[in-house]
Amino acid sequence: MPVQALVGHRSFLTLLFGTLLVLPAVANQYTLFVGNLMLLYIILALGLNILVGFSGQLAFANAAIYGIGAYGTALLQVHLGWSFWAAAPVGAVLAMVIGTLLAIPALRLSGIFLALATLAFAQATQWVLWHWQSVTFGAGGFRTPSPSFSWFAIKQDYGIYFVSWVTTVTLFLFTWRIMRSRIGRAFVAMRDGEIAAQSLGIDLLAYKAMAFALSSFYAGVAGALYSGLLGYMSPEGFDLFQMIIQKAMIVVGGLGSVVGSVLGAALLVYIMEFLREFKSTQEIVFGVLLVGFMVFQPNGLVVFMKRWLPGWEEPMHLPERPQAISKPDVVEGTTSGDHPVVERT
Amino acid sequence: MLDVQHLSVAYGVTEVLRDVSFSVREGSVVALLGGNGSGKSTLLNALSGLIAPKGGSVRYLGEETAGLGAHQMVRRGVVQVPQGREVFADMSVSDNLELGAATRSNRKEIRNDMGDVFALFPVLRERRMRAAGSLSGGEQTQLSIGRALMARARLLLMDEPSVGLSPRMVDAVIEAILRLRQRGLTILLVEQNVGVAAAVAEQAHVLKDGVIAYAGQAKQLINNPEVLASYLGR
Repeated sequence: MPVQALVGHRSFLTLLFGTLLVLPAVANQYTLFVGNLMLLYIILALGLNILVGFSGQLAFANAAIYGIGAYGTALLQVHLGWSFWAAAPVGAVLAMVIGTLLAIPALRLSGIFLALATLAFAQATQWVLWHWQSVTFGAGGFRTPSPSFSWFAIKQDYGIYFVSWVTTVTLFLFTWRIMRSRIGRAFVAMRDGEIAAQSLGIDLLAYKAMAFALSSFYAGVAGALYSGLLGYMSPEGFDLFQMIIQKAMIVVGGLGSVVGSVLGAALLVYIMEFLREFKSTQEIVFGVLLVGFMVFQPNGLVVFMKRWLPGWEEPMHLPERPQAISKPDVVEGTTSGDHPVVERT
Repeated sequence: MLDVQHLSVAYGVTEVLRDVSFSVREGSVVALLGGNGSGKSTLLNALSGLIAPKGGSVRYLGEETAGLGAHQMVRRGVVQVPQGREVFADMSVSDNLELGAATRSNRKEIRNDMGDVFALFPVLRERRMRAAGSLSGGEQTQLSIGRALMARARLLLMDEPSVGLSPRMVDAVIEAILRLRQRGLTILLVEQNVGVAAAVAEQAHVLKDGVIAYAGQAKQLINNPEVLASYLGR
């Protein structure tokens, strides 16, 4: 491996996931909780980026799907007496099934209309969480049972932490692989030109359903882990602000970038905790970050990473080589994005 | 190979194609001419499954295919080269070609076919790691044809490949189509440029206001002032 490849995505990922792995040895309970939150948000950002960044589906339901995974897992334990280990997979799959159904409106709607439809779905989910009190316990929330780690002889908060770490790294590697495969390529094709993708035989229904299924499975898994982490749950955790947090993560990190999802999630969880004492500042800072990046750098921090770090490479990304920009002699009819076309030398 | 009978297509209540009938023999190049708004692109989209016809029949290799989706037509070897090339500008040339093979899974065959495309269009091999958007218009046309070949096309539906290209590039497109014809590919070519049609096609059909108004030898078409004047506006 050439030396320059050391300065790239590999070192960043090794450093981040390595630090998170040894964190329990050095951290107090609060830092461990923040580390765990970081892991969950990495899962959420990876999933959301598959749907929004790679597949180009402007959906706003991820926070609600996350909530369905969390509530599903917790309520199965509370009402039916299931163990966490039985409830968590069912909660995640429930979230995936409901999330996949959102692909049906997505076949007819795109852009802002899909955003509105999925936003309506998210608000409806909130309404159910607030008002179906006999099942969801309403606005006041409820205590969720702690997962048992007796079979592993490990303390509960370490237990859920390591489960989260293993899940996150597994899902990261899975995302990386799948985005490099023909599935990832088809997602990007669907984003960059639906008609062209269709005329190449890409079945839009199948691939949209797959994008929604993948992203809502990730959200469901994160929700299940969240219910095991927090010990308490209320509808506010899955509201519009939650959606903004997740959206800001992928926009800041980089839409359509696997490592960017990790980068954005890690960075924004850090900022979020830094501002924990001033909840209203959180909302302002996240709003400003989201809008600022959309306006000034819609492709996120990975643009700088690719420019400055020679070894930074990612699925479906051509490496940035600023000195070699050339314009095609015919512009009409191409599906170029909003940044200049760059060639590899 | 392709037999279209009484095909009609409508967008809402607007009938774009009415009672269109023609056929394409295996191994032949057939041109479909017509002015703006004559329904040429609509006809191609109906044949490739991008839009569902309202009535009539489309038989491909003896099978009724009217109403099948685009991905089903691609699997059968009917592949469209869309108007304006529609290459994925931010993806590399080789990723674009891989996308042509989206319905296939045998890696070895895909690699072989990519080798074939590179042999046909050597410039694509040279630029395979470059962003497709950085190619010239003529190269993008070659890429969009190569991408369709990657789908194992047997019937190529080409939608105005010459549009927006300089005369030199148009010659390159003609040259490419002739090479495809040599390989035995069947091509239905939609064009506004009568010169291109006459250079590559044996048969020609002229579409006007949603019906076929003239059918005959492509070479005779350029010498038929009546057809040129009344149907193509010259």
